Amino acid sequence: MSDLALKRPADATPWSKKSSRNVRLIVAASLFPLVISLAIGQILSIPAALTLIGIFLPIQIVASIAAARFSGLRNSAPDAVLIVVTYFLVTLFAILLGSLLTTLIVKGTESIKLNTLYQNNHYVSLSTPLTYGGVGHAIVGTFIIVALSALIAIPLGFAVAIYLTETRGRFRFVVRTIVQSLSGLPSIVAGLFIFAIIILPGYMPQVGFTGALALALLMLPTVARTAEEVLKLVPADLRSASVALGASRKAAFFQVIAPTAKSGLVTALLLGIARVIGETAPLLLTTIPSQETNLNPFSGPMSTMPTYVYAYVTDPHDALQHRAWSGSFIMLVVVALVFALARIVSTKRTRTKK
Amino acid sequence: MSVEIRRNFSQGTKQRLGDRLFFGTASAAALFAFGLVALILIFLGYRAWPTFSQQGFSFITGSTWEDTTNTFQIFPMLVGSIYLGLIGLLIAVPCSIFMAYYIEFVAPARISKVVRFLVDFLAAIPSIIIGFWGLVVFTPQGISWAELINKYFSFLPIFKNDNQNFGGSPFIGGWILGVMMIPIITSVSREVMSRVDPELVNAGRALGGGSFSILRRVILPVSKGGVLGGVLLGLGRGLGETIAILYTVNLIFVTNLTRPLESRGGSIASWIAASFGEATSAVIGALMAAGVVLFAITLIINILSSLIVERSVRKMAS
Repeated sequence: MSDLALKRPADATPWSKKSSRNVRLIVAASLFPLVISLAIGQILSIPAALTLIGIFLPIQIVASIAAARFSGLRNSAPDAVLIVVTYFLVTLFAILLGSLLTTLIVKGTESIKLNTLYQNNHYVSLSTPLTYGGVGHAIVGTFIIVALSALIAIPLGFAVAIYLTETRGRFRFVVRTIVQSLSGLPSIVAGLFIFAIIILPGYMPQVGFTGALALALLMLPTVARTAEEVLKLVPADLRSASVALGASRKAAFFQVIAPTAKSGLVTALLLGIARVIGETAPLLLTTIPSQETNLNPFSGPMSTMPTYVYAYVTDPHDALQHRAWSGSFIMLVVVALVFALARIVSTKRTRTKK
Repeated sequence: MSVEIRRNFSQGTKQRLGDRLFFGTASAAALFAFGLVALILIFLGYRAWPTFSQQGFSFITGSTWEDTTNTFQIFPMLVGSIYLGLIGLLIAVPCSIFMAYYIEFVAPARISKVVRFLVDFLAAIPSIIIGFWGLVVFTPQGISWAELINKYFSFLPIFKNDNQNFGGSPFIGGWILGVMMIPIITSVSREVMSRVDPELVNAGRALGGGSFSILRRVILPVSKGGVLGGVLLGLGRGLGETIAILYTVNLIFVTNLTRPLESRGGSIASWIAASFGEATSAVIGALMAAGVVLFAITLIINILSSLIVERSVRKMAS
């Protein structure tokens, strides 16, 4: 009896039903205007992108309104237009992102060679073939600078997150708002700030470490906010239970709460790193690019992947443009790897929780 | 009740040393993060003071930038930043709202997951890469669009272009900013839309509402605040963007508000990056002053946006 009462009828949500005939109708209805508008565009020789916006979209909207009218649903014309516009804008996004990614992959793989990964550009001139020289020194530089900035920003960020979640401090709301707004700190201002407090007074020249400080400034809010979100997810009961068992709040945090949120904290770390790998503007002000490998972040110029790319993008010479493309491609791959790792770690967390 | 018990408890026992150290560190870090904003403003302001005191209010309102006469006024780049940001919003806002709507309400679960991943990934792509793509791939496209707009709509003064040079215009820079704003605005809007009570949506459907009327009368009114916060956040991101603007906009120190298709424009951030290389100490002071102005604007926008989002989420929860 109770089973019967709980069972939801199959047609309880008639609006969500899509028959295959409907799907076929929709596909046909959108392909037809597409073909027409592309034909018109070809005849009038209008660029494809503009054809899509200027001809296809209006035809599609008119067609959908007509379809809605003919199908006998009198008030469904706005719905039809909504669906058309939604799909159109999503497709626009897909085209932009797709163009970005395919350009990078095509141009990047074209100009990348094995030596690009580990050689530096010490003896590279305009006429040097792509089989010589590479991003090696910049990869090393990025690794050192990002690692240093992580060393600074991650303990700080975690401590801020602990303040926001574990204490009953009076200023939590203010601190949270400030940290949140710090995440919108323009990256060039971070560079200016480090330049103003360290390089201008002469405490340090433009070395790797100053770059790391500027990046730490940008990494801090990302780490703090993500870690706060993660620590908030730890059930309050765990906290109370461990304190009730006589643990100090510190022990409760390090032995119960932190292990529970471990993968989430790792995600926070990785997202912070992904945030700063490609930052160019602050490094332009706080480091000096070089063509050689430099392992010492406290002296001498040090190249990073973004400044490596920056140096070559605006260069009119083809060979150097190729080096910029391979540099961008490697940078994108590194960012994608860190990003994917963060995703994998965080989905593992949600899976084990269930 | 529970609050009182707690108070008695902590008064009765002496806090352990480890705990005090632990909380002390956390509070110190929070204080540091809090002080960071003040620190940035103070130190940049200190370096910028000569410029501010010399130029006075005309630093913001004037439009001369000459290091021979020591006159530094940022107005053209200031309005350029805002102008580029607004063009970016014009492109990003509709796209983002419909993307968020698509992810939350239209797409099947699996596709919605993929789109969400792609949006987040676009947010993670370094801006220099987007700028490079914008320079090499998008600019030719943008030029052909601008030419067509100019050809058919040049009777409107805003689409006029006197020298017929369409590269490096605010129109193209705005598109690039739009691409960078889309993931930010989309993810905030999506987050807020996902908190719309499904009962409300179903009630709307049960009353016979179509998708459009539900979007207009249920989803948008409820998530309005959050979407606005996301838009402001995207604007803040756009104002701070440096490299992509440097690559895609023809950086000229003039005020260009009326001709978005003409090849001149710029923003504070890109102006700082472009002028920093061969700057004398007076110019560096002026650039610091420009940085203070930029930081103040983005700070206000960001605080505003986080307050708006916070409030709207709290309102939806209750």
